Amino acid sequence: MKLAVFVSDYRLNVDTLNRLNPAKLGIILVQNGVYHATLKENGALSSLMGKNADFYVLMDDLETRGLAGKDIGSNVKIISYGDIVDLIFNDYEKTVWL
Amino acid sequence: MGKFTIGCFSSLVGSMSLDFAVKLSAAAIEKGHKVDFWVSGNATMLSIKGQRAFKDYSALMKPVQELMGKGLTITACEACAEARGYHKDNTLEGFKRHSMDWYLASAFDADRVLHIGGE
Repeated sequence: MKLAVFVSDYRLNVDTLNRLNPAKLGIILVQNGVYHATLKENGALSSLMGKNADFYVLMDDLETRGLAGKDIGSNVKIISYGDIVDLIFNDYEKTVWL
Repeated sequence: MGKFTIGCFSSLVGSMSLDFAVKLSAAAIEKGHKVDFWVSGNATMLSIKGQRAFKDYSALMKPVQELMGKGLTITACEACAEARGYHKDNTLEGFKRHSMDWYLASAFDADRVLHIGGE
């Protein structure tokens, strides 16, 4: 199964993600979830970013928080709402909201 | 083009999720998809007439009315609304009210479903 997981909070959701075993995993960072891609604690990114997944972050939610593309790693793709629609319909079969 | 069912159980004011769901609906409609939008729990506040837009809060009534004009089907959980004192005569024109089985039926024959829980 190709699964897209929306992460909407900065709380760690890795335990939940570890229970999922899709053939393809996409993690879409929205709302306060964008901080997973931007904040470093003791020099390290969120452990969420260590998952074997394709990472996306919603541009609107980055900008709302005063962040920009320069604040995130090269492994995270910046996307729009329209891109999310395309991911849901074209790249993933199921969605989960965390 | 496909059918996209979104369920949102968050609140109207003070929640980011309903704002996200409305913007995602707009993007899906823009791309030609059919969108069924179910609001439950405190999200049923979105169905009430006379919402006032304050500049420091997300105001969704007008965007939702515009989306309804573009084909958005939006339905509130009738029991959730009634439990909160939101009655049929105080519901926005075009905003449907049904029991939960409407959402289940919509999700069952949708091409894609996004279920956003409450907080």
